[in-house]
Amino acid sequence: MQSDEPKLSKTRATDRIITPVSGLLRRAAVLSVIGGALWPVQAAVIAWAIASWVTGGPVWEPALIAAGAFIALAVLRAGLDHRAGALLFDAADRSIARERQAVIAHEAQARSNWGSPAIASLLVEKLPLLQPWITRYHLSMTRVKILPGLILLLCFSQSWAVGVILLVAGPLIPVFMALVGMAAEEASRRQLTELGSLNEMLMERLAAMLDIRLLGASESVAEEFESRAERLRESTMEVLRIAFLSSTVLELFAALGVALVAVFVGFSLLGEIGFGTWGSPLTIGQGVFLLLLAPEYFQPLRELAAAWHDRAAGLSVVAELDALDQTAPVPMLGAGALVAPLPGAFSIKTHGAVAALPGQAVALPDIVLEPGQNLALTGPSGAGKTTSLKALAGLLPLQAGEIEVCGQPLSEASADAWRARIALMPQKPHFSDQPLGTWLDPRGSGSDPQSALALAQAAEIVAALPAGLNTRLGESGGGVSGGEARRLMLARALHAGGDVILADEPTADLDPETADLIRGALLGLKARGIALIVATHDPALAAAMDHQIELRS
Amino acid sequence: MTALWQVLRLVLAADPWAMARGAALSLLVLVMGAALLGLSGWFITATGLAGLAGIGIAFDVFRPSAGVRFLAMGRTAARYGERVLTHDATLRALAALRVALLRRHAHRSGRALMGLRSEAVLTRILADVDALDGVLLRLVLPSFAGLITHILALLILAWLVGWPVALTVLLAYLPAAALILWHLARRARAPSQQAEQRSQDLRQGMIDLLRDREAQIAFGGLPDRRAELLQIEEAARQAAARLDRRERAAAAGLSIVVAGASALALLAGAWLLGQGEIDPARAVIGFFVALALAETLLPLRRGFAELGRMMGAAQRIMSGKAPARAPENPVAAVPKAPVLEITRPQIACTLNPGEALALLGPSGGGKTSLLMQIAGLAPSQGIAIDGHAPEIWGEAALRLRVSMLPQRSALIAGSLRENLCLPGSQSDDALWQALKAVDLADTIAARGGLEMRLGEGGSGLSGGQSKRLCLARAILRAPKLLLLDEPTEGLDSATAQRVLTGLRAALPMTVIVAALHRDAEHSLFTQRINLRTAEKG
Repeated sequence: MQSDEPKLSKTRATDRIITPVSGLLRRAAVLSVIGGALWPVQAAVIAWAIASWVTGGPVWEPALIAAGAFIALAVLRAGLDHRAGALLFDAADRSIARERQAVIAHEAQARSNWGSPAIASLLVEKLPLLQPWITRYHLSMTRVKILPGLILLLCFSQSWAVGVILLVAGPLIPVFMALVGMAAEEASRRQLTELGSLNEMLMERLAAMLDIRLLGASESVAEEFESRAERLRESTMEVLRIAFLSSTVLELFAALGVALVAVFVGFSLLGEIGFGTWGSPLTIGQGVFLLLLAPEYFQPLRELAAAWHDRAAGLSVVAELDALDQTAPVPMLGAGALVAPLPGAFSIKTHGAVAALPGQAVALPDIVLEPGQNLALTGPSGAGKTTSLKALAGLLPLQAGEIEVCGQPLSEASADAWRARIALMPQKPHFSDQPLGTWLDPRGSGSDPQSALALAQAAEIVAALPAGLNTRLGESGGGVSGGEARRLMLARALHAGGDVILADEPTADLDPETADLIRGALLGLKARGIALIVATHDPALAAAMDHQIELRS
Repeated sequence: MTALWQVLRLVLAADPWAMARGAALSLLVLVMGAALLGLSGWFITATGLAGLAGIGIAFDVFRPSAGVRFLAMGRTAARYGERVLTHDATLRALAALRVALLRRHAHRSGRALMGLRSEAVLTRILADVDALDGVLLRLVLPSFAGLITHILALLILAWLVGWPVALTVLLAYLPAAALILWHLARRARAPSQQAEQRSQDLRQGMIDLLRDREAQIAFGGLPDRRAELLQIEEAARQAAARLDRRERAAAAGLSIVVAGASALALLAGAWLLGQGEIDPARAVIGFFVALALAETLLPLRRGFAELGRMMGAAQRIMSGKAPARAPENPVAAVPKAPVLEITRPQIACTLNPGEALALLGPSGGGKTSLLMQIAGLAPSQGIAIDGHAPEIWGEAALRLRVSMLPQRSALIAGSLRENLCLPGSQSDDALWQALKAVDLADTIAARGGLEMRLGEGGSGLSGGQSKRLCLARAILRAPKLLLLDEPTEGLDSATAQRVLTGLRAALPMTVIVAALHRDAEHSLFTQRINLRTAEKG
């Protein structure tokens, strides 16, 4: 069973990635093989011209004809390769586009449990690794099945001895190919690991550079990095020296094969070898033809050896895609689109609702909330506070019970319209790479956020930013502190507007003064008729709410 | 281009001898390849002539056939050596480039250093370094080896066959190949930079979408964000497709150049043959050599297609001023000056050895900025350390006096000892003393002692433990002035008290300035200043 496992995954990988583009790949392979098959024709015209010179025939006409034909065929070959390359790129491009778009769509609709950097790296770094597997590896695989056989046949037709030389050198190659393949894979893996660990070391030291500088350790860290890189280089070179040695064996056989052909042809032409042909002695034209063909016999094998590790890289990407498909994503209700708000008077009621998380059911408290009321959900971590807020926003499916909003059940159909009446303040701040003004106005109302900023005690934060509302805070909120980020999130929720704000831990990790500011702003909502549900550990905030519900795990 | 040239010099200087060995063998492989095909072609034609003339016995067959065997084997051996040596040179270059990058970044401002925490900034830097890794292996070595091979081929063909054939090969190859590669470099520049930029955008866009996903759903923006991301994705692939088209066009052009040069070499040979200057065996050498010279062009396409991206990357990496190995100002401490004196409209204080200042105030009140200014990572005014402004002290002298624990401290993967000894090695005794001072000795002893392994970014320790480990690292520096940004954040009150007490016991004479929003009542602090009136800079 265990030994079947990798085989199965290879078949699956082929089914998933190669089969949908097999038409394109076949056409590309046909063009490329035709291009490869033109070489013997080119070799033949050159051999014919040289034979004419040697046998004392005319010099110019054969030379001109041969040169013209040689160039014309080369142009044709270049055109075929160019077209084959376009088809291959198209095949890879379609596969990458399909898989990328699927990942983006799936993750937007139903989040898997992978971290966002892992998903981003899958899209940007790993999926493009499919390209060499789809293009280079598959093409060389087809070429290696046809071209050496064709050349062997042509060589046999001229001289059985040359055919035998190539035939003997040829089958030895697959034996070494296995070795070489493994070694090449090891070599490329080793190099990637080396580069990977070097880059990881660099990232870590750059990320810690502030500390390093403040400790006065910049120079010693640079020196330490240098000596680590040196050790890594030495150990990598030890592996590479052996890995390259085995690929040299392949080249040695190819070189010996070609040299033997050349020497055999030379001796035959001198008349010192009388065997190896079909009756009549070898002519000079045949000799040159064979000399030009022999290296091409080995060329596809060498190409395949060079492309061997592309396959391993491609398969590992597919394995990762499969692994992502097998995670249990959490679907949301609705599409997350901007639609007209749900009609009816605002209210929230839940009866025996149970949220369905992967492998886990979380019971929601029974809640009744009227306009302008506020409510605190308290309890230990893991009791389901965040889950309850998410379920109320339609971010999680229910497996039992019901959530009623504005007098109708929260469902796939009503979720988007319901969300048009609420505002959400998640636990972790995240600033996308966009101007702060755009970020503060997620529903694109175009109105001035100043009053919301003032209400959230955030006006002076914006005023202190270098470009005010045009500042791009980017990832991790560069330039604002944790407390400032939270006040900006509150301003965003207030500016978005709605009948209720769902706030997850709005005062966590804040210094007492900032926490006071946030509490004040949240309590001020009541006067404006906005309802509020907070999930919180903060006893002061919970105590200030109209109702508290304590959840137990 | 200047920036790329700087990168190249930096890389070559890493180990000129290793680079030279790699270049020499690259050259040897190309020359032997051309010689092998040229000799084989001559040999077969010559034996054919001799056979026809019936002078087969007189023909010296052994030296040429030995030559063919020697070149075939020798080329294989040289190829092996070339692979080993060029990879060795490349690995050295990779390391040199990264070390130079570390040194450059070490000298940037505090704000820039904090920016290095951002994943987006780090991936951008990494993508640039990776792009520059190809400079040696894909651009410089093959260009150099190819050019020299062509010049050697010119001289040898001129000697063996004649100038007409030699010049035909050179002139058919070099101008056309150079034109195609130059054209490729120019036309690939925009799409290769776009492809790179769009990929980074896609990465950032995906992270933004996922991290802000719940808010986007709640605010009804998900379909729009997804559509934007799909557009970026499409733009990234379109740029890659443009790049691929240009590369393929160049590849087709180069293969036609090879065929054209070979065919012209054949015609030049025919001309000399027609003049009766050489025999057919010599007349074919040009053709075979020209055919073998195709190998000089093969590796260049990739390198030139990436030239634009390399230039952009080099510009970003080499931007800013080089790490000034500034002549350290031989400044002496002003006698009897306080260790730290701040004289500003809002804040005025004087701190002498053994004293400690607690900086209070709401977040965003300017506490961190003030500490950064004292540490010399931001332009300052009204600050004097041992009587001089931080800028007056050179970098090295300032770091000997002042250490600082930033709010978000960073650890690196490796052993605990490696983390503690980042600034320089210390005796085990000293390390344990410092760990005791921050109340971490028992925890560490129970988890494997100083050799305990930390994961990426120091994972394996809790937030409070990492914080205390960083504090221990600062204590080991035994600075005259220690700046602490939120040293007790993430610690429970009892631990915070023990840590502050331990800190003073470990460094009895050090002046301590700590920004905090609790624990300021600890007896460690001799002065307290509230920065409520925000001072931001």
